[in-house]
Amino acid sequence: MLQTLPYELPELVTRAPLDTHRSTVLPEWVDWNGHMNVAFYVTAFDQASGAFMRNMGLGRRYVDGKLGMTFVLETHVTYDRELREGAPMRFATQLLARDAKKVHLFHEMFHAEQGYLAATNETIVMNIGYATRRSAPWPVPVAERLEAIWETHKALPKPAKAGRVMGLSRKS
Amino acid sequence: MIDLDLGAPLDVHRAEVLPEWIDWNGHMNVGFYVVAFDKATDTLCQQFACGYEYTRDKIGMTFVLEAHVTYDREVKEGDPLRITTQILDHDTKRIHYIHMMYHAIEGYLAATNELMLMNIDYATRRSAPWPAFAMERIEKLAAAHAALPRPAQAGRLIGLKKK
Repeated sequence: MLQTLPYELPELVTRAPLDTHRSTVLPEWVDWNGHMNVAFYVTAFDQASGAFMRNMGLGRRYVDGKLGMTFVLETHVTYDRELREGAPMRFATQLLARDAKKVHLFHEMFHAEQGYLAATNETIVMNIGYATRRSAPWPVPVAERLEAIWETHKALPKPAKAGRVMGLSRKS
Repeated sequence: MIDLDLGAPLDVHRAEVLPEWIDWNGHMNVGFYVVAFDKATDTLCQQFACGYEYTRDKIGMTFVLEAHVTYDREVKEGDPLRITTQILDHDTKRIHYIHMMYHAIEGYLAATNELMLMNIDYATRRSAPWPAFAMERIEKLAAAHAALPRPAQAGRLIGLKKK
């Protein structure tokens, strides 16, 4: 386990949910249906996971410094409403659970001006040792930050769209 | 309309990991797994004539309502991919199916993608029943896939195990 990180960590944000990430629907994210393609919702959410990781102290320098990486193990997306090219997005990210190597995150994506919910993403992200490319415990300063974040997030209600299992309802 | 392929699972889609799909971890990025899977969805939709031409000709569209991805093993730039598709369920407007992505040479499972796809009316952009020509083919595909075992990756709930 890494005891320290050889760079200065950003100021910790413990607001719950984390609401710092903003983005815009890029032209290359739009498909032949004239809206953001399903895959690029995942890209946009992955960038929101990146914002959560940076807040924990795991940004680009973590990888470039050959200290470690973070891999997504599993992800679940609900597509709630379309977004068009240029649409501004804001994200809210809730920490649902954590352990020594993983975080369980829930993102909501909103149209930043019109306010509607566009999509949600529930995801598991795991810490990876750079040399082994295998799972590894969070570095100590990261684990400390994770506990500080958990203290404020644990009181949030569980989102209605978290924990979904896919299937057809037999009504329609 | 192309010839209907009733092999179960549907095993026609092939792809290759493109350089622009690679991220700073040196492997295919999570979003581009879904790009690759979405192209396999196009291959499925071509089976029942709801692919690109369906939208280009302003007949209809197909929208994904929900998706679940398991990332099982890394793939690198240039790796050949084989994606198979199994229909799990369907109704008058939707199809529930799962893609399995394999390294085409080494054979290992790289990822899975379970999806719910809905037919959309072109003019209203709202849900609509599958056209008759599509429904007939979906029924045949679903019947061909009905005998397949349900993959363990279907119907998963996300969470951390409590030890």
